[in-house]
Amino acid sequence: MSIEPLFTFRNRWFTTSVAVTAGLFLVAALAGFLWLPSLQSNRGQAAEGAGGIWGEICSAAGVFRPGPAKSVTKPDFRGTQVALTPTLLKGADAASVGRGATLALQCSMCHGARGLSEADSPNLAGQHPLVIYKQLQDFKSGARSSAVMEPLVAKLTDQDMRDLAAFYAYLPRAPWNIPTDAPPPRIVISGAPVRGIAPCGACHGTLSMKPGAAWLDGQSPVYIRAQLVAFAAGTRHNDIGQQMRNIARVMTAAEIDEAARYYAGAQQ
Amino acid sequence: MTHDHEPHGEGAQRAERIERRWATLSVGIVALLIVMAAFAGIHQATMPQPVLETADPRTLHIAGEFTEANLGSSLEPDGSVMVRAIGQQYSFTPACIVVPVGTPIAFRATSADVVHGFLIDGTNVNVMLVPGYVSTIATRFETTGERHMPCHEFCGTGHEGMWGRIRVVDKATFQEMATRHRRLSCVDQ
Amino acid sequence: MLTSKRLILAHFWLAFAAFAGALLLGEWQMFIRSPLHAWISNPEWYYRSVTGHGTAMAYVLPTLVAMGFGYFITEAALKRPLIGRAWAWVGFGLAVVGTITAVIPVALGAASVLYTFYPPLVGNPFYYIGVVLVVVGSWIWVALMSVNLYRWKKDNPGAAVPLAMFANVAGSYLWAWTSVGAAIELLFQILPVALGLRTTIDAGLARVFFSWTLHAIVYFWLMPTYIAYYTIVPRAIGGRLYSDSMGRLSFILFLVVAMPIGVHHLFMDPQVGGGFKFLHSVFTALVALPTLLTVFTICASVEIAARLRGGRGALGWIRALPWRNPMMLAIAFSFVMLGFGGAGGLINMSYQLDAVIHNTQWITGHFHLIFGGAIVIMYFAIAYDVWPHLTGRALECHGLIRAQLWTWFIGMMVLTFPWHWVGILGMPRRMAYYDYTDPALAPQANWVIMSVIGGAILVLSGILFLAVLIRGHRAPQIDPGPYRFSVAVHQPRRVPVALNSYGLWLSLMVGLTLVNYGFPILHLLTTPGTDVPAITVGAQK
Repeated sequence: MSIEPLFTFRNRWFTTSVAVTAGLFLVAALAGFLWLPSLQSNRGQAAEGAGGIWGEICSAAGVFRPGPAKSVTKPDFRGTQVALTPTLLKGADAASVGRGATLALQCSMCHGARGLSEADSPNLAGQHPLVIYKQLQDFKSGARSSAVMEPLVAKLTDQDMRDLAAFYAYLPRAPWNIPTDAPPPRIVISGAPVRGIAPCGACHGTLSMKPGAAWLDGQSPVYIRAQLVAFAAGTRHNDIGQQMRNIARVMTAAEIDEAARYYAGAQQ
Repeated sequence: MTHDHEPHGEGAQRAERIERRWATLSVGIVALLIVMAAFAGIHQATMPQPVLETADPRTLHIAGEFTEANLGSSLEPDGSVMVRAIGQQYSFTPACIVVPVGTPIAFRATSADVVHGFLIDGTNVNVMLVPGYVSTIATRFETTGERHMPCHEFCGTGHEGMWGRIRVVDKATFQEMATRHRRLSCVDQ
Repeated sequence: MLTSKRLILAHFWLAFAAFAGALLLGEWQMFIRSPLHAWISNPEWYYRSVTGHGTAMAYVLPTLVAMGFGYFITEAALKRPLIGRAWAWVGFGLAVVGTITAVIPVALGAASVLYTFYPPLVGNPFYYIGVVLVVVGSWIWVALMSVNLYRWKKDNPGAAVPLAMFANVAGSYLWAWTSVGAAIELLFQILPVALGLRTTIDAGLARVFFSWTLHAIVYFWLMPTYIAYYTIVPRAIGGRLYSDSMGRLSFILFLVVAMPIGVHHLFMDPQVGGGFKFLHSVFTALVALPTLLTVFTICASVEIAARLRGGRGALGWIRALPWRNPMMLAIAFSFVMLGFGGAGGLINMSYQLDAVIHNTQWITGHFHLIFGGAIVIMYFAIAYDVWPHLTGRALECHGLIRAQLWTWFIGMMVLTFPWHWVGILGMPRRMAYYDYTDPALAPQANWVIMSVIGGAILVLSGILFLAVLIRGHRAPQIDPGPYRFSVAVHQPRRVPVALNSYGLWLSLMVGLTLVNYGFPILHLLTTPGTDVPAITVGAQK
């Protein structure tokens, strides 16, 4: 039994299906790449400087263009200049920890010899290195202000900061016991959704970690409270994209207190 | 369509006639849908963003139009309003966006980390924020009042807490605000 | 001529075991994010559960059903033993290993990225490896379907391929091509990051690759259902298939136009141009065509059954249908859900209407109605129909089967209608909880509770389903006789070569994919600076 050839112009299935498919594609492409964009540009929705028929076709196809040049408002304060990525500090080694230990001698007055403070300064032991590195950079650039820290960081190089971050990350964390009789406060595990407060724990470790967010367990309640208040007031503004100010601004005083006391944990 | 079937007589021919009629009707329905979609696109002017742009999420806060001081709403020379915003784990900045009623509004937004998106309650505003790319969307609000602007794409464990706000104020109030600041928001109110 | 019964049963049981677990997770999710439950104390559990539910329901259940049903069709329709049964067991083994490999990191909370992956979020590599193994297992199935058909054609030159087999192989080819998008995303984008070889990923490009898979996968899920419409339902209710060639044409149309339409999932995305969005919108509308043709052919086939049973009048024949026959119930429910779901789908395909409901609960309602409803209810019907042939025992509990189908239908309607509605009200998807005390959200509360009730009915129905199948393994032995597919009113002995082969249609499928996806992918690949840092989920605290 002979089988009729399919891929030939004599086969009507072949010619019809190819013609219909190609025709549909052409009509749809003409409408999508020429007709609709031209209507859109008549309404003034097209990009400036993307004129001409080829410009319209390229835009409809999705060719990337530089954005419109507009004047950018200058800030009236200094924000953080750190481009934070999860892998920014990859590759720290034991030598880095050793150098960091030497450098840390001048920090032990406030932050303790083993990174545990007794003076409501933040505990640094076991802190994520990204956090320490970024705060040191911000103190140096003036994005975060502190009369105590500024003179201390003035001479630190980028490598010094990496070493300090590696050293403190290496130290064992503060002993911290979750109070067993009470569940974590709602602000820590649920936040306040429609007010735009994600759970504290979504970034700070109780539920999951956000790269660059600080480990808070066992931290001084006085310190946490002071930072939340400073974020809310805008006096501290070195958080990238206002990520902490957005939250702190809408927290109530009671919520700030609950969060601070919860993270302070056994140190209460 | 042609059929090389074994002949089945009149019944088969009748069945084929009915089939062909139905197929024609189906094609008609589909064509109508496409025309309706195109028509709606033209006459209601809700169209995909005309121009694509890229943006580096690592340095949004350091330089360029998405730096902190440049975010928010601004009154443009042509009387329209431009809103620049970013999404990040787990908030929008500005967390409260203020716009005037009855005014053409253009959003320019991007993400600083993972994929986000937002919709605005009771409107057709709906857009994805993909890190690396700039989203633009044009709209207009016809009534004043405050609306929710939730993130509508899974962005991590805190996604359920990522709700922004948008406040639509009357034109005079907005004008008055615009005389005092170049970039406006309603985060402190 | 069924010689691979254990193989086929193994596939169905793995599919239904995954289904049962995922069903419970689904209802738990509905419940804990409803006003009936306080806010969950760890929202991460919710996303973990959504990841497990989606992975099992979207990847394991339909893939394993398509594979098992495909082997069944090969033997029952070609009337000869499966060639390459050992390879089929290898494919099954990969699916088992893959499922377990994927489930463990998900259960541990190390891969809560949802089944749609969402880079630059990146989870534990074993999750992705598990999914890849399931897909590779299914590719073995694709190859076996192709080989079996090729050998049959060689032995039967010029003969018309039985419609069931023709559709089955079309489905396998569609799957082979549509899974390529997600496979590229997993193998070349996500896994290198998850394994620590790279630190950045182009999230926009990943979304384009995923859209390549994400829409046509729905038609792969649909294939067993449509095969049942055409080749089982008419026979099971005592009728004839109205037209064999219309069936072939529908499956061919799915093959050609299911692929180049995925960008409609990216209508609101900033990395694809408006022209391509319109192009994909047009082809999305076209994919309604094979469904409209199917609705006509199957309604006509059902009418034939009614008239053979003495039905009269323009609509009076509907009463003469065998309503106590489970297959009749299943097809009726499936069509009702397909109708509503399809209407919703037409809304999603238009850019303007999509803006109202994109990423709201409407979308979740939509695909649960289409997939969980119209498609899965036919998976049940298929299982009921083939079970006696696989076990050699009767499925006698028709009352239980009817109750199961009714509860699935009612449950799905009660689940998805409120879901659509709260989507229109603006309720966003995929959140672990909502503050229903807020005045703007309060009107959604009662609708969400209705959905929870619908979900509970579905759990009941799922239990009934498993009970029927398990009882089927213990029933008295019978001889079910040879398996029969539907016979067309005008059964073709010869069909045009175009309706009996795939070369032309595969060429059009690949061609359309290349013109509709080629430029966006190449452009994103070659644009510098669009790679962004990957963010690891479930990282150490």
